[in-house]
Amino acid sequence: MERRKLESAALFLSLLGVLLILPPLAVVFQLERRVFGVPLEVIYLFVCWLGLIAAAFWLGRRLPREPEAEPPSEGEG
Amino acid sequence: MLSPDVVIAVAIGYVGLLFLIAYVSDRQARNDKAAFLRSPFIYTLAISVYCTSWTFYGAVGSAARSGLEYLAIYLGPTLVFIGWWFVLRRLVRISHNQRITSIADLLSSRFGKSSRLAVLITIIAVIGIAPYIALQLKAVTSSLQAIAGVGEFPGRTLRGIDEVGLALAVAAGMALFTILFGTRNVDAKEQHHGVVAAIAFEAIVKLAALLAIGIFVIYAGGGLEAIFSRAEAAGIDIYSTGNFNDRWVAMNVLSAAAILCLPRQFQITVVENSNENHLRTAGWAFPAYLLLMSLFTLPIALFGLTSMPAGANPDMFVLTLPLSAGQEGLALFSFIGGFSSATSMIIVESIALSIMVSNHIVMPIVLRVTQGHGVDSARGVSRLLLNSRRFSIALILLLGFLYFYLTRDSDALAPIGLISFCGVAQFLPAIIAALFWREASLKAATAAVAVGFVVWAWSSFMPSFESSSPLVARIMAEGPWGLGWLRPEALFGVENIDPLVNVVFWSLFLNTATLVVVSLLTSQSALERVQAALFTDLFRRSTTGTPAVIRGSATLEDLYFVAQRVLGVQRAETLFGGMAGSPSPQFIDRLERELAGSIGAASAHVMLSKVVSGDAVSLEEVFEMAGETRQAIAYSQELERTSSELRSTAQKLEEANVQLRAIDTEKDEFLSQVSHEVRTPMTSIRSFSEILLEEQKLTADERRRFVRTIHQESLRLTKLLDDILGMSALDRGERGWDNVPIEAEGSIDRALEVCSALAQQRRMQLSVGSRAPSAMISGEPDRLCQVLINLISNAIKYNDADEPLVEVRSRTGRGRYTIEVQDNGPGIARAERKLIFEKFARGQSGGVTAPAGAGLGLAISRQLIERMNGRLELLPGSGRGACFRITLPLL
Repeated sequence: MERRKLESAALFLSLLGVLLILPPLAVVFQLERRVFGVPLEVIYLFVCWLGLIAAAFWLGRRLPREPEAEPPSEGEG
Repeated sequence: MLSPDVVIAVAIGYVGLLFLIAYVSDRQARNDKAAFLRSPFIYTLAISVYCTSWTFYGAVGSAARSGLEYLAIYLGPTLVFIGWWFVLRRLVRISHNQRITSIADLLSSRFGKSSRLAVLITIIAVIGIAPYIALQLKAVTSSLQAIAGVGEFPGRTLRGIDEVGLALAVAAGMALFTILFGTRNVDAKEQHHGVVAAIAFEAIVKLAALLAIGIFVIYAGGGLEAIFSRAEAAGIDIYSTGNFNDRWVAMNVLSAAAILCLPRQFQITVVENSNENHLRTAGWAFPAYLLLMSLFTLPIALFGLTSMPAGANPDMFVLTLPLSAGQEGLALFSFIGGFSSATSMIIVESIALSIMVSNHIVMPIVLRVTQGHGVDSARGVSRLLLNSRRFSIALILLLGFLYFYLTRDSDALAPIGLISFCGVAQFLPAIIAALFWREASLKAATAAVAVGFVVWAWSSFMPSFESSSPLVARIMAEGPWGLGWLRPEALFGVENIDPLVNVVFWSLFLNTATLVVVSLLTSQSALERVQAALFTDLFRRSTTGTPAVIRGSATLEDLYFVAQRVLGVQRAETLFGGMAGSPSPQFIDRLERELAGSIGAASAHVMLSKVVSGDAVSLEEVFEMAGETRQAIAYSQELERTSSELRSTAQKLEEANVQLRAIDTEKDEFLSQVSHEVRTPMTSIRSFSEILLEEQKLTADERRRFVRTIHQESLRLTKLLDDILGMSALDRGERGWDNVPIEAEGSIDRALEVCSALAQQRRMQLSVGSRAPSAMISGEPDRLCQVLINLISNAIKYNDADEPLVEVRSRTGRGRYTIEVQDNGPGIARAERKLIFEKFARGQSGGVTAPAGAGLGLAISRQLIERMNGRLELLPGSGRGACFRITLPLL
């Protein structure tokens, strides 16, 4: 992907994350149902969390690096 | 069974281990051997200083009391780190560029290097963090009591030491430990490699401990499904009904704000960052760490609630669960994990706060009191900084202890932490504005933070003293002076609102509103504008584009003196190595940033400004650079000036055009007149010639008359053509003559003589007024006579009065000779006064029947007189008649 698209993707990922964990989306999964013995909303939150981490991992390796990002060397004294 | 001595010995041993790690890491870092210390994973682990004993103990307590709510504390930071590209990256970049040392330094630097704002931020941070420190003290104290036996295991008290005494001892120990740990030296960049390494180690310890407890609980509880089922059977609401409400939103907002605004998070994430690219890893690895830390929280809480006796403190489940199962080793590990999380938080937080206190409060005071010359030895500033930091650490822990002492009746950990979160969250609007909104002004940021702080202090901080102060309790119930709408937990009369939502909403709302409104109403100083541009255009300008703010005529010696006092001899020498001559603005700028790395932007600016003279001038330069407004004003003034010039030119052009048009009309009329005048004699000459040629029967008398007429008409023609030729020749400056001394009165006499016949013909009086006896002028007698004849004959010809009169008079005086020709004719209309001297012009009014001249007379006359260095003018008169005056210089 191009630089601009990657930046947009990073922005949309953050916004998606906000939407996922806040009502009303979070409430959708409050169904008093259990998956593997665990309430569905707990599973939902952890799955969202894991998804966000994976997406951030993917993006972090692709977002553009700038050559001058390296600060001057430390420990001069 | 664990004895208190063993537990304390293990704790001290653990601290010794930390100390060793820090020491070794520092040595390695100094010798550039420990590349792994600068790896992104160490960085990420250090960031997890976010997980304190609140996480370790409090999250389980929170989960036991209110279900999923605890997760919000970790989801907010997760979102901030997922979006690292937008906020964190900017913070890190700008802090590297500007050598930012703390959050107070960041805001002060952005808002015009203001010392006052830095002081305000520092004070708020110190007060706001006190509850958080108290939380750690409380957690360590409770864990010591839990593991070494009060409460559920009576009989094994810590030898008569009560809770308060224990907390004081913990606080004192922590203070000592942090002072030894964090203030061994003053680093130029406030980076503490040793501390970071120790914190990273602690992050691993606390994660391992919590995971160990989690796995133990799953094992002991018979699996997840069994734990949840048992909890549901015990009547616990495992579905967290109504959990995703406004409080959930408020907590997410708070935790997202806290990960940016907490002084220790800023210290680790931004100041200790050695490479911007580490954020790439931290962006996903820190959320992953948080996920692991909160993975088992809910099962531990539910297992604790179902297996522990009623009334057991859920905050201590991670300790009491293994203890009650007889797992003493695991319990001890868990205790070390909790101890780890508390110590790492206290170390980093108090280091960060002590840097703020010493840089923004102590240093400016010392600089002001001593005029910058009181600390003379090269090591003086360094020692002063270290001592003020040690003192600050002690003060911060003392404040934490005081808060703990005053609020010791409250039992849960999480609510205490939320008070601190809400306090530091008041920096968030200013930080966001600092990074993204160029117009945000110093006054606005100061006012906004102050407003937010007041609301927080009223609605969040003060209520925590409800149990220890009757006054606070009364205000909580009735409002101050009975003003119900000011009740801390129901501000502006909003009842039935969660206290946390109440304070989060009102403080951040009023904070942001103040920031926006005041920014719109106030203007920025020159320095503010420069800094604002640096912060908001971070990625748009090249890194070399930093404008040198301080310029002037400091000598290298002066600067070196300052540098060695702050940075030490060694670093100063490295910095000044090979420098000669006068320092360049770029060097001064670099020096300022180096100094800012040690003592903060505001202090560095003040210090260098004192040394470098000509600061005021350079601010003007800065103003020129950054002052788009001024440029715009100058430009618009220029435009205004040009356009007014244009306007006046246009007006002149228009006037000239009017004149041209008038002259043009006159010219057309004149040409038709000339044609007519030429045509009339030509016609008569032709017709008389034809008669003479064709008629044979003419008498001699008739013949002579016709020939005479032809002769007269050709004379008229010649005269007309002469006039026209003379006119154009005069125009070209030809037909010159030499002015000679003449007697002018003679010319008047001749002219009068010539004109007397014409006057007689018209039956009018030609009177001679007073005459000058004689007048010698420089001129040409025939020309002068010609002009006079022209004037007199005009006066006669155009006079239509019943008793026509023309008077000629002359006089001398003041070196001038004046001739006036006065008549009582129709006069010359005001509009024509200017025109009559123009070529081809001719008086229009007066109903003159047969104008005999070609309209060149006055124009020629004026030119002739001018050739004699004189003037011909029409006197401004009123009523009937006109008066022409010739003025000539006397010899």
